[in-house]
Amino acid sequence: MKRWVTMFLMLAVAAAVALPAAAQEGTLDKIKRTGVLTIGTRTGSPPFAYIDKSNNWVGFTIDLVEQLVKPAVEKEVGKAIKIEKKESTPPTRIPLLTSNAVDLIAGTMTDTPQRRESVDFSLTFFYTGAQFMVKKGSPIKSINDIGGKRVAAQQGSTNAKIIREKVPTAQLREFPDQPAAFQALVQGQVDAYTNDGIQLYGLKAKSPKPDDWDVVGDFYSEEPYGMAMRKGDAKFKAAVDAGLKNGFESGKYFDLYEKWFGAKGEVPYPMTPQVKAYLMKQIGK
Amino acid sequence: MQYQFKWSVLWSGQSAGWLLQGLITTLELSALAWILAVCLGILAGALRTVTFAPLRAAAVFYVEFFRNVPLLVWMFFWYFGVPPLLPRVVQDWLFNHGAEFWAAVIALGVYTGARMSEVIRAGILSIPRTQFEASLAMGLTVGQAYRLIILPIALRLIVPPMTNESLNLLKNSSVALTISVAELTFQTRQVETYTAKAIEALTAGTLIYLVLCLGIATVMSRLERRFAIPGLIARVGAG
Repeated sequence: MKRWVTMFLMLAVAAAVALPAAAQEGTLDKIKRTGVLTIGTRTGSPPFAYIDKSNNWVGFTIDLVEQLVKPAVEKEVGKAIKIEKKESTPPTRIPLLTSNAVDLIAGTMTDTPQRRESVDFSLTFFYTGAQFMVKKGSPIKSINDIGGKRVAAQQGSTNAKIIREKVPTAQLREFPDQPAAFQALVQGQVDAYTNDGIQLYGLKAKSPKPDDWDVVGDFYSEEPYGMAMRKGDAKFKAAVDAGLKNGFESGKYFDLYEKWFGAKGEVPYPMTPQVKAYLMKQIGK
Repeated sequence: MQYQFKWSVLWSGQSAGWLLQGLITTLELSALAWILAVCLGILAGALRTVTFAPLRAAAVFYVEFFRNVPLLVWMFFWYFGVPPLLPRVVQDWLFNHGAEFWAAVIALGVYTGARMSEVIRAGILSIPRTQFEASLAMGLTVGQAYRLIILPIALRLIVPPMTNESLNLLKNSSVALTISVAELTFQTRQVETYTAKAIEALTAGTLIYLVLCLGIATVMSRLERRFAIPGLIARVGAG
């Protein structure tokens, strides 16, 4: 018995040591070799990345990759490349990246100091903060009202972490994805669902009866979204950032923003001057 | 480029506490579901061998209905599907008192029970019918024959496949995280969220499951030897 345990432990250690060895090739070299940039994105996070009514995988983040990042990477590798999309959820996205299954996480991932220890982030491409979604007429108006209440959050998100620290009396229920959490809210398993404000607006807009739901509360956290890459791959990061920077400078980024978040967009969410200043400050403007 | 390992994330901060909590939840969930599964399994397995057709049909329905739908669907069914059928007051009480945990226990227990009943049926069918006839000839009723003769023999014969099902149950309990039960896999992900160290967290989870399963397998193989019926199987204790 003891011998078996030792053997399994050794196997586990061997596997752990062998894993990073595969990550030696730079991402740009890999893309040059395969002609494919594989991104990890979402299927249920409108309007960032989702499957639309005609069954296409679309969204703001996907547009950013295809129209801003792709040309910049093509310039670096010197040939036309294809974008391949894979589903990545908060719990799977860092493992997908470190195991080389995807090259770039382009979804709704918040740039945090802890995550920066494991992955690198591109320039921030969206700025939002956490709020609550409740049934119309709910007594919950902000984070101050959720003590003792049942609150749904997404597993592996920063929101759940902050709620646990700020309001330990709230009963957190964490679901792996947005549809399950929303279902729990619809059926009354939970009293509120917390996520980044923009995602809640997106969910509300896509729900069968948008008027039944309210998004309430001030931002109780700051959520700058970035695209994540394997740590320490400076060349690839420079290419991705160059693409985004070019988008900010040429105004193409703002055209895409208008397409998805403008008055006629999927989820109207006008950009505040503060957010615009924040985005431009990154490129020294 | 190289992934930087930092194993200390597993015992520093709250990680150890979370993993322990997850382990306890996994054990509670699995133990309760196992008891439910064994009861349902014995009942349905025995009923499938009786002569009275309606009882047999009911057992067949149970087995085929529950084992042929994915466990994930059953989790959603018991958590999202069943509560709306109850009065609002009951629902609220349930949701405040761990509805997700009990939904997971029922989902896992009923599903595994359907699988176990087939194992138990196989055990019963492996007993020569003369045993049963002899019991009746001794003056036992059908119920007594099952309770005192058939089931005690059958349950001893099926320890190896029951070990399989029990291990599956323990591992399947991780599906409960989809309905927000904070079991071991859930807590593993929690550690990953806080530390962004996925490989370390997953390794810890893997090792804990492995040790649990090896423990169960050891206990079951002891049971098998302890309760083997001498002379019934050619090579007793060969395992």
